[in-house]
Amino acid sequence: MSARAIAELRAAFEDPFSALGRDPARDRRTVLMSWPSVPIELVHAAGFLPVFARGGDAATPAADDVLEPDLFPNRLRQLVEAALTGRVANIAAIVLPRSSDPDYKCFLYLRELARRGVAASLPPVLLFDLLHSDTADARAYNADRARDLSARLTSLAGRPNRADELREAIANANRSRAAARRLHALRGARPLIAGADALPLLGAFWQLEPERYASLANAAADELARGVPLEGRRVVVAGAPVDTLVLHAAIEKEGAVVVAELSPFGGCGTSADVEVAEDPFPALANHYGRESIDARLPVDALMHKLDELLDAAQAVVLSQPSDDASYGWDYPRIRALLARRATPHTVLTGDSAGGAMAADRERIRALLGSAREVHRG
Amino acid sequence: MAEKQLQSTLAAAAFQKQWFGDLRRRVFDERRPYALIQADVPFELFDLLEIPAVSNQWWSSLVAAKRQAPAFLAAMAADGIAEQLCRYCSVGLATTRYANAGEAPWGGLPAPRLLCARLTCDCIHRVFSLWAEAFGTELFEIEHPAARELPPRWWELTRHRWRELIEPHRLEFVAGALERLIERLESITTRRLDRAELRERLARVNRQEEIFDATRRLIAAAPATPVRMTEQIANVMATQWVRGTDWAVAHAQQFHDEVQARVDAGVAACDGEKLRLMWVGAGLWHDTDFYTAFEDSHGAVFVWSMYLAFGPDAYIRYGLDDPLAALASRTASFNEFLHNPPWAAEWTVAQALEHRIDAALVLHPKSMKPSATGRIFIERALEEAGIPVLPVQADVVDARAWDPVAARKAVAAFLDKRVLQ
Repeated sequence: MSARAIAELRAAFEDPFSALGRDPARDRRTVLMSWPSVPIELVHAAGFLPVFARGGDAATPAADDVLEPDLFPNRLRQLVEAALTGRVANIAAIVLPRSSDPDYKCFLYLRELARRGVAASLPPVLLFDLLHSDTADARAYNADRARDLSARLTSLAGRPNRADELREAIANANRSRAAARRLHALRGARPLIAGADALPLLGAFWQLEPERYASLANAAADELARGVPLEGRRVVVAGAPVDTLVLHAAIEKEGAVVVAELSPFGGCGTSADVEVAEDPFPALANHYGRESIDARLPVDALMHKLDELLDAAQAVVLSQPSDDASYGWDYPRIRALLARRATPHTVLTGDSAGGAMAADRERIRALLGSAREVHRG
Repeated sequence: MAEKQLQSTLAAAAFQKQWFGDLRRRVFDERRPYALIQADVPFELFDLLEIPAVSNQWWSSLVAAKRQAPAFLAAMAADGIAEQLCRYCSVGLATTRYANAGEAPWGGLPAPRLLCARLTCDCIHRVFSLWAEAFGTELFEIEHPAARELPPRWWELTRHRWRELIEPHRLEFVAGALERLIERLESITTRRLDRAELRERLARVNRQEEIFDATRRLIAAAPATPVRMTEQIANVMATQWVRGTDWAVAHAQQFHDEVQARVDAGVAACDGEKLRLMWVGAGLWHDTDFYTAFEDSHGAVFVWSMYLAFGPDAYIRYGLDDPLAALASRTASFNEFLHNPPWAAEWTVAQALEHRIDAALVLHPKSMKPSATGRIFIERALEEAGIPVLPVQADVVDARAWDPVAARKAVAAFLDKRVLQ
């Protein structure tokens, strides 16, 4: 069972986006999103399956024709490529959160491409405008946006917009989160699972039906808990959040173990439950406003999350790809934090979805060498 | 540097230097507060509450024009901040965080009482957080709800139908954010904002922008451009930073009258004007001579930039019964008109046609990522309108990667091959 569970979880992380366009019936039940700052509970409550656009090495010629270079991350290029080539023509909707300028601009571009007739067969393209400021006004605004998105999705589904169904979806997702936390607990100071193996199991949370995810993740955790701790330098990946295994694989190829990543697809994405409240919309909006790891999350909150990951770390890899406009500004603070903790780090500049560049591989090797020295010292 | 053709340009420059000197005296000698703010924050509120406000973008352009930006930016890069990150919004931070790296203009920025920024681009929160930390001062952030509905011909709605232009939930949110800002400013000054005064100020901003509108139409309609783009910018920006004040309205009028006189006398900025160019994007502050470099060789004159045209189309609000709502409607989508599709492309083409533009140079600012978006739509819309486009790779404040000779050669070749033929 557990091997099958792991395989199913891995497939649930890797396959849904690339599978769009193959099964019209499944597509019609699918909502495609660009980043996990959209509450998947709203998608589930409307009866849809959430799928996230993911970075990859597939060429994106149609997208490259309408997206400026170095401004949009790979995952958005893949999403626009799918939109322009008709691969998402049958899905219920595309939802882009305001989690970064590129995500928002992608929303505007898709709308404009549809208006100009360049993208002829697009489903409804929706924006989820989540603000991260921790003020009463922003919280109320976010709750209204969650209500609005819920109404739009249930309308697309032809279902009533019911708070009790949303509360149930929240409770189900929380059970999935608990299972994901069991998996993530197998990492840390005595890791029982490699990062490149853990990330898909954790990331599948976002795309699987919640009960199924909870069942599979618990089974996988039971099996993996019987393993032996892995050897190698323990590395935390931070900077621009990763959405693929590429960086983990490059680091672990050098004999290290990635024990955490500052990414919603990793353990950070499921570290806290959503409150099951009488009015589920403010609870949901508050959770995502506070917990979503994206380019607009306030720096203090991001630093707090990073600090929580560092206890098990012997080294830190920071990803700063050329399309980054935000995370690089955190570098002085992160450098100071890591200096206080005497944790060595390196900065990689390649596209974390496109394969590690030679220079980045060399930086990883140098880091792991220095981490070994620190450890011996 | 090209000679100044207008007296009002000299007056604008003198006013700014005097204004900044007065500010430093107030801060250092009288220990009075000032604010350091993003260009899209409503200055009127600060001024009415007697907290002078310095624009980050104005300061950045000044640092660049004084050729000091490379030293500060090199210090920032040496500190590990990646070169790809936005320079325009951060060179001011660099003059504070790495104060010894270069010589900041006019004695440098004193510590403000408050920094204030709209959270438009992703980097703004981070740049201003670092800046507030460097100054040891407070940061007030204005959250930026995103537009979902973008009427293409937005400028036809701004003056009278602004409640239609800005979605109600965004208008309400931004008005609330401005209320919070007013409360904060009032707690600093102990003054209270008089809404009638605000209404009056916004009416004077309208008046100023109406004058700019008349000036823009003079320039567009004149047989030959009566005033260089660089002088348009100098006059407009000195005025916009103190918009709606007595000086601003008077200066806008002086500028207009001088342009009118030149039009009436048939005076052209460039004798033998053959080609009318537009510059799309922020100004190339470290090399403003670029904008006059093609007059002698090609009779090519830069006629248009966003700076004069944007004020009349983006600022004017009629119907000031609720002045804060009117101000919020301007604040809510302010500079997005310049970058987001379909707003930016539709407006740029309309302006190009009104100004009889022969060719457009479109800035590709490598480090200003959100400002760089939308340009594919702008370029294609211009080309579809029959206006050849030359993309120009440049950073508006960072001259380190700018090759002025190569850039001029590229423009000359473009004019020869695509425009004159």
